[in-house]
Amino acid sequence: MKKINFVFSTKLTFDDYVEEHSIALRCIPPETETQHIVSCQLEITPLISTNRTVDAFGNNVTSGYIAKPHRFLDFEVRCTAELDKTKRRTDFMPCYSRFSEYTKPDGALYDFHRQIKNDSLSPLERAKYYSERLHEIMSYETNSTTIKTTAAQAFAQKKGVCQDFSHIILSLLRIDGIPCRYIAGLTESGGETHSWIEVWTGECWRGFDPTSVIFVEDEYITLSQGCDFGDCAIDRGVMKGAFTRQMQLVSSRITVE
Amino acid sequence: MENISFPSANVKEINELLRRYGVKFGIYKNGEFKEQLFPFDTIPRVISADSFSYLEKGLIQRVDALNMFLYDIYHEKKIIADKIIPEEFVYISSGYLPQCEGITPPKKIYSHISGIDLVEGKDGEWYILEDNLRIPSGASYPLIARELTRTASPDCFSQSGIVDNRNYAELLRSAMDSVNCGGINAILTPGRYNAAYFEHSYLAELTGAALVQNNELFVEDNMLFQKTYTGGKTRIGALYRRISDEYLDPLTFNPCSVIGVPNLTEAYRAGNVAVINALGNGVADDKGIYYFVPKMIKYYLNEEPILKNAPTYLPFYEEDRKYVLENLEKLVIKDVAEAGGYGVVFGSDLTAEKLADFRQTIINEPRRFIAQEVIDFKDLPIIENGEQVMRKADLRAFVLSGEKTRVWASGLTRFSRNPDSFVVNSSQGGGFKDTWVLSR
Repeated sequence: MKKINFVFSTKLTFDDYVEEHSIALRCIPPETETQHIVSCQLEITPLISTNRTVDAFGNNVTSGYIAKPHRFLDFEVRCTAELDKTKRRTDFMPCYSRFSEYTKPDGALYDFHRQIKNDSLSPLERAKYYSERLHEIMSYETNSTTIKTTAAQAFAQKKGVCQDFSHIILSLLRIDGIPCRYIAGLTESGGETHSWIEVWTGECWRGFDPTSVIFVEDEYITLSQGCDFGDCAIDRGVMKGAFTRQMQLVSSRITVE
Repeated sequence: MENISFPSANVKEINELLRRYGVKFGIYKNGEFKEQLFPFDTIPRVISADSFSYLEKGLIQRVDALNMFLYDIYHEKKIIADKIIPEEFVYISSGYLPQCEGITPPKKIYSHISGIDLVEGKDGEWYILEDNLRIPSGASYPLIARELTRTASPDCFSQSGIVDNRNYAELLRSAMDSVNCGGINAILTPGRYNAAYFEHSYLAELTGAALVQNNELFVEDNMLFQKTYTGGKTRIGALYRRISDEYLDPLTFNPCSVIGVPNLTEAYRAGNVAVINALGNGVADDKGIYYFVPKMIKYYLNEEPILKNAPTYLPFYEEDRKYVLENLEKLVIKDVAEAGGYGVVFGSDLTAEKLADFRQTIINEPRRFIAQEVIDFKDLPIIENGEQVMRKADLRAFVLSGEKTRVWASGLTRFSRNPDSFVVNSSQGGGFKDTWVLSR
């Protein structure tokens, strides 16, 4: 058991006023077998009334609506959690075995899968092996993709960020029929949000980080989970305004007690 | 039946009235929006009281089972655990939405308005062709056509025992009222360039629901509101919508949608608004799931199915695949992902080369298709250029689920204007007839 405190904040600034702004945040970590949330506060400015629901994947969704014109949206989560790496999660959904919007393979991904296929490995070992093989031909490059990039698109350009590495490995594992899911969260090293995956062993979930090619232990905090990024976005919003650009600053700080 | 006198007004006059009333059907062809008239034929389809009572029982049974199936699939999934339906068929379906897992719509009703397409075989037996559980359109056409024919030929309706069909609005309103979570009823339309715009505006007028577009709606405190002209807001408790699920809420589904309402899913999940029909229904009217509906009826209701499916084969099963590959030239093949008469291929229309290609496609993607025997269904008379000719026709029956499940004693009879075609869909240029149910 390990006790941690974290602060996660994002600042969204628009270069002109926007209004009728609806938001859906998935930034309050879910209570699970492996992470117990001792306390958690979410602060949003401008101050608005919000509502909380739990979505189909078990994520805490905070929704809100800002009718009046505004030029920024900030939110900050302060949380204390206990992480227990001896426990295992067992919540299962059939969609985790199926291709999704972002993880649908194309011909090139099927070809790559044929080259590296290895049925003798366990699901978790396979995630590691596929990730190692992927890193031989694909490089990590900041800003090389967007939040709309699919596994097939990132694979085609052979570069991407954590989200893309996760999607590609999910896609390859799902070709094998192995249930696996997308995780968005934070790591002890702090900084922006990170993405990794969980692989179903047949009995429980085990975390694996395809970007760093390591097994996930208690240095990771799950904020949201789902079939792919589409289910997990930490913040989604729809607003009205003239053509506006937006700038987002994300930071997190984690301290271990 | 012989002593019923058909409306004396001629086809041209009534179609002219329909045109003036704006009874139109929108169609997109080659990227262009065109509104076309939906040609009306004055000779009605007549259904005897006995036939209707039989159809009614069968349709209620079918729709009740489909609603139970939807609840089961998004909750316990007992029908899969009990191996009645292979899980592949459920979860591969593009209509299955994992985002809807665990959501319970008010009164557990998913399909409030079901459009069940049937044909009457030459043997007098009715066969179900497909179920439409994502707000089927079309009820407004026989409604307004009846109104106009009644005006043109009032005697016919006062002297013959024809069940009045004006209660559709009442059926729809009570279905909406029974699931309303507090607030007004509203009909959401994407606007006048939508194929069913005429229907949306007509139904709103008849049921007293507000006709709304997405830019006047918002979700606040997990409740759906309509902005009022004075800057206030009116709560909506039941929302009839014909926008596809994936465009309905840009914060849950397709983020690029500009015709949806952000956070509608959250309000719906919280039980603060009924969405009519519910989200995720596509898994139950999937052409691949159709095959299993009679099994659902036995499973959930412990009853024998009253209405028959058309004989159907699933290439997914090896035995069926063998039959389909050997008999392709006499079967009709449907692509499960397509709707509105698209993706329907008659084996008899294909050249030897095309047949061979198609066999390969079926081998490669067996889950994508279903195959059916071509049912030799009854032709109905229509008037064309002043002469009576026979054409293929089907019947879309409307079943409404509220406190109870009820069948509208009318329906949309669609016919093919092409003498060689079995495809009657209005999007493929077909016409329509009124459907008379006799009271005795």
